[in-house]
Amino acid sequence: MSAVARSLKSSLGDSRLLLPLAVLGLIFLFDLIFIPGFFDTEIRQGHLYGSLIDILRNSAPIILLAIGMTVVIATGGVDLSVGAVMAISASVAAILIDPRKVGLTLSGDITAVVGDPTYSFMPLPVVIVAAMLAALACGVWNGALVAYVRIQPMVATLILMIAGRGIAQLATNSIKINIFNDAFSFLGNGFVLMLPLSIFLVLGIFIGSWLLLRRTALGLFVESVGISSRASLFAGINEQRVKLFAYVFCALCAGIAGLVAVSSIKTSDANVIGLYTELDAILAVVIGGTVLGAGGRFSLLGSVLGALVIQATMTSMYHLGVPASAITVVKAIVVVLVIVLYSEQARDVIRRAVGRTGTRKQGASA
Amino acid sequence: MSDQAPLLSMRGISKAFPGVQALTDVDFDLYAGEIRAIVGENGAGKSTLIKVLTGVERPDSGEMTFAGERYQVHSPQHAQRLGISTVYQEVNLCPNLTVAENVLIGRAPMRWGITIDWNRMNRQAREIMAGLDLDIDVTRPLGSYSVAVQQMVAIARALDISSAKVLILDEPTSSLTLRETQQLFEVMHKLRAEGIAIVFITHFLDQVYEVSDRVTILRNGEVVGTYDPSSLPRLELVSLMLGRSLADLDDMAKHKMETLDRISEEAFLQARGLGMSGSVQPFDLDLHKGEVVGLAGLLGSGRTEVARLLFGLDRPDSGTLDVAGSAVDDFSPAASIKRGIALAPEDRAAEGIVADLSVRDNIILAVQANRGWLRHISAREAEEIADRFIKLLHIATPSADQAVKNLSGGNQQKVILARWLATDPQLLILDEPTRGIDVGTKADIQKLVLDLAEEGKSCVFISSELDEVLRTSHRIVVLRDRAKATEITGDVDEKELMTSIAGTNA
Amino acid sequence: MTQTLGARLSNSRRFLPLGATIAMFFVVYAFGVMAFPAMRDSQPFFNLLNTAPFLLIAVVGQALVIISGGIDLSVGGVIALTTVVTAALLRAEWDPAVVIVLMLLMGITIGGVMGFFITYLKVQPFIATLAGMWFARGMCYVISDAEIRIYDPTWKTLAGVKVLIPGLADPVAKTGSYITSLVVIALVVLVVGLFLAHLTRFGRTLYAMGGDSGRNEQSARLMGLPVDRTKMQVYMFNGLCSALAGLVYSIYVGSGHGSHAMGMELLVIAAVVIGGVALTGGEGYVLGAFFGVLILSLIQSLILYNGQLSSWWTSIFIGMLMLLFIGVQSVLATINARSLARSTAGGMKRPRTAPWRDRRFLAGAGAVIAAIIGITLVGPLTSSPQTTTDGDSAILTGDCAPAESRAAEAEEMQAAGAAIVYQRFGGSDCVDQLYGLYPDGRVTGVDGTQTVEAQVEPSAVADLVTNLEGLGWFTDEMYTTWHHPCAECYTYEITVTSGDQTKTVGAVDGGTDAPAKYWLVKTRISALLPETNGAP
Repeated sequence: MSAVARSLKSSLGDSRLLLPLAVLGLIFLFDLIFIPGFFDTEIRQGHLYGSLIDILRNSAPIILLAIGMTVVIATGGVDLSVGAVMAISASVAAILIDPRKVGLTLSGDITAVVGDPTYSFMPLPVVIVAAMLAALACGVWNGALVAYVRIQPMVATLILMIAGRGIAQLATNSIKINIFNDAFSFLGNGFVLMLPLSIFLVLGIFIGSWLLLRRTALGLFVESVGISSRASLFAGINEQRVKLFAYVFCALCAGIAGLVAVSSIKTSDANVIGLYTELDAILAVVIGGTVLGAGGRFSLLGSVLGALVIQATMTSMYHLGVPASAITVVKAIVVVLVIVLYSEQARDVIRRAVGRTGTRKQGASA
Repeated sequence: MSDQAPLLSMRGISKAFPGVQALTDVDFDLYAGEIRAIVGENGAGKSTLIKVLTGVERPDSGEMTFAGERYQVHSPQHAQRLGISTVYQEVNLCPNLTVAENVLIGRAPMRWGITIDWNRMNRQAREIMAGLDLDIDVTRPLGSYSVAVQQMVAIARALDISSAKVLILDEPTSSLTLRETQQLFEVMHKLRAEGIAIVFITHFLDQVYEVSDRVTILRNGEVVGTYDPSSLPRLELVSLMLGRSLADLDDMAKHKMETLDRISEEAFLQARGLGMSGSVQPFDLDLHKGEVVGLAGLLGSGRTEVARLLFGLDRPDSGTLDVAGSAVDDFSPAASIKRGIALAPEDRAAEGIVADLSVRDNIILAVQANRGWLRHISAREAEEIADRFIKLLHIATPSADQAVKNLSGGNQQKVILARWLATDPQLLILDEPTRGIDVGTKADIQKLVLDLAEEGKSCVFISSELDEVLRTSHRIVVLRDRAKATEITGDVDEKELMTSIAGTNA
Repeated sequence: MTQTLGARLSNSRRFLPLGATIAMFFVVYAFGVMAFPAMRDSQPFFNLLNTAPFLLIAVVGQALVIISGGIDLSVGGVIALTTVVTAALLRAEWDPAVVIVLMLLMGITIGGVMGFFITYLKVQPFIATLAGMWFARGMCYVISDAEIRIYDPTWKTLAGVKVLIPGLADPVAKTGSYITSLVVIALVVLVVGLFLAHLTRFGRTLYAMGGDSGRNEQSARLMGLPVDRTKMQVYMFNGLCSALAGLVYSIYVGSGHGSHAMGMELLVIAAVVIGGVALTGGEGYVLGAFFGVLILSLIQSLILYNGQLSSWWTSIFIGMLMLLFIGVQSVLATINARSLARSTAGGMKRPRTAPWRDRRFLAGAGAVIAAIIGITLVGPLTSSPQTTTDGDSAILTGDCAPAESRAAEAEEMQAAGAAIVYQRFGGSDCVDQLYGLYPDGRVTGVDGTQTVEAQVEPSAVADLVTNLEGLGWFTDEMYTTWHHPCAECYTYEITVTSGDQTKTVGAVDGGTDAPAKYWLVKTRISALLPETNGAP
């Protein structure tokens, strides 16, 4: 028994997932003690409801962003424009569903379709594809600037961060566009098997991404380029194409996140969608164990856990009655704690503590 | 020239790093007013010696005295304050600041103690530079000047900070023209006349003869001796530097003679007038199947540059390259790998291993890159490949999952070799594959090279250790001063080889 | 001083980015003058400064931080926090002088804490200042959810003081070109920044530390420079600048709220980059950042003058300009590297530059410049429809349209001496409101079919009018924006009369490019209106 425990402990101790899991555990412990009824889950109208479900559902956009951001950070870069890409994809979708909102006049008898829940100017598949194409264009733009023109990632994506939101606002004439289409809002609000649809969507994207990265050589290439782009060059890896892929992948994830976000709130406000979400995404990835700035080995699961940590923190604060905007203070404290915990000194302390208890146990059982 | 007592003295200095003994029981004396050259091949311990001297590293054992007193130094700044200044090959200054600032920053003259007095600073800097016989515009950014000038500025700063008594120049002439080198030498003479002791690390033997008063030779972490260049023939200098290693020569030589017959007439690779300005002068080279060609020459002679051209890392300015009969026009590592050429680079750490990836991932990396991103190597197949090579090359690692950065240098080198062998190359180029590696592994690698030849593959073997080159190569190409000097075939004497390498004024 | 200035000017290559920024500013300004006669006066130039004193202050600190190789994302947050704490303290009747000193100390402390994490705990500046931003913004709402208005006389005075420009103004008649006192403060900060950067050891150490993406820092340490101490100091100085900018902002806007200065950190960074300061550090001038702000201000003004471009084009232009200037910086770096390689003999590896990059950059730069000029001058590329036919508007506004009599009623209120006439209609619940606020405190109006009468303190109305005036109601900053009314949007028409000035400004609340202060105005007016079913 002790041998098994020892090996388990050592593998957990080495595993980079330990910290985000531990942090998540701490938050839930806190909830258990201080927030009565936090873990209550009930079934209403055939759907599961409860704080845990809320956490899972509300974290959908940020998990999606974090998945994309992980790959970019793994190549040693960063993408600050994901929020703007969300806004762009949301705006494209909103316009294509109901272009009258931006002033395009249409022929035919339109009176009948105002507020019609099945109305969509373009078929929904076209809407989604168009939104993703817009996101793809953004990814190619970022990737080209970083990989071929060799501009620093932070600077290159800052450009789209600033200009992209302007583009989105321009396209929608910066009007808040309400979207009535039921099929579309099912994306963000619907339930399948008692759980919110968005959870399944995120799960699907996560699995798909994992397959894309780990069942092809892409993940290996990304890590290799991040750790040593020179050695990767010597080994025959096309470093530029790998980086381009990373930014395209990240933008596509942001595009999906934008669609989910806009469908869940039924309104597309280019001013506000995705605002500051890039920072949440980066934080989620950092909590998950992928190193910002250096890149290298990454963990999609770690980033998902990181996103859950952030969302769980926010939801817990809601339940405690902390005013919405003051939650950012808590976020700041969490960031600081995480960073300090992740620093080299803290890791050494943890490792020594884990090692010490290990030997003590061994002594006792012997 | 030499005073009675040495200015700087090292006794019994030893220093070990994980896996390698960098210095062993080194005794070293430096006198005021002399220019001492330190020479030795890679891994001889030159840089470690300097690091110990300047406080970057602490010696494991031994003592040092400076200016008559016990010398214990904790940091480069401390050494500088005490009067020992170093100017490195990569000039450690700030190219975005002006020359004057670089010379005086941190000690700039102030007006009323608050604001920097630019006028005075510029004037002072001009005077200091004039002291080195350099008349330049000190208000221009340092980065707008050539490396030669930057080095001068670094020297000026180093000397000005504290009345320096010892000036260490680490490979200062690598990036200088002939004229700039002469200027540097004049400055060195001038400083010597002022009583400063100058340590001059270089691999250019001509310069050793030209400027140094005495030369200390290091080999494998030990001091071979200190000599007066005027009474040391060049050939002897080279032979002392390169020396002999302990391995058994006979078996290898026999093996090599057997494979000599198997060399095909067919040339796998043909280079005609291949060259790149600033890198290596145009050369011709034929590589036959089943042949091992050694590239010999001193550090800086252009061996790595040749390798880079053959592997497609650099694009040649002139000449043609034919591989397996067809001309090459796309120069890139990926294209070369497809053609069956592999290169194990000289700089293992920066260009070889992908540090944080596992041994397994490192081994299959090139194969995977060659197959493309879609055709993933399954976990099972990867394990198979990795295990095969771990066994074949006796790679010492607790498991294939171990991060390759945790392996010793020798094992890291084996991992890199495994990576290339896994691609089943037709031509394997090895650039200093045995540097910093234990003797047993060295023998393993040399045997591996000959085995490859037996299978009909070609190999280019680059090494500073002549005995290795002799043992494994069917033919030796000698490079000197970035150009191909001669080709030596057949059974050759070490002395002959060294003569070639040393050059005409032996 | 002149001697060194001349010598330094001769190092033309270093000044290229700065020169490019300044040249660009004057070129675009020249275009503006040609296209818009209103710009030929001197006041519009000074207004570039008057509308952005807080930006001018913030960029000085940020420029120094970026030159040292770091970055500070917390600027907007600290500004907002400063406004909130200031407003709260002033409301609690603290002495303004004490408040000012306290706020500056607060800024230094926040900067110091972040600097500590960056310097000694080795946290990346991006993350540390991000946490600082969240912390500051969050604290704003912890202190107060709602906006706190500032009534302090010192603040009001400072807000209103105009410094006449000698030579362009008539001091006797008190008219002519002016800058505000806030701009004077900003200029003082600029001078301090210039002094620090060029004449102190602190500043030179900053330049030494930055550059080469962090490698210079190693060299600086080896050269014996006090890198750690300087890092702490620059973040503390930036905190001071942010706090000072916050104070200025609170004077400018007259209130404190957590939503102030949203996204300002991006504007500040953009201004610094456009000003020629390399984000990699070690290059650039504080003066450049100053001109960067001028350019941003200029773009905003040009778009306003054009009147037909949605103001979100500003963001797009800023993005394009940043790309342009980053391109300039990287090309210059390339040129420098290549000339260096040429001047050294063999032995150096060829620098990793590509000649095609120059051509691509030039093509790109040409395209960007052409686009900017074309868009600004040639005409609208997006339609912002002014009116529609009745049929369409009925559909688009659903059944919601104001009763026909409203226009006439509004006129009547005007004639009867209403200080403020407030009209709102539309929305998903089809609101139709018209109110008049009179100087004697009467509030009369209609809400749908309901007639409403109420009474408030006369002084409240007078204060409100003064406040609105202070917000710039009668200046060029308040202008009508119009969008296609949408089924869920409210449309507003507000008329304010003060003395002999009357001005009407309209907006649609879905159209979020209306002047930011418009919503402030609307909030304050509706605070005085009675609550009815269609609560204002």
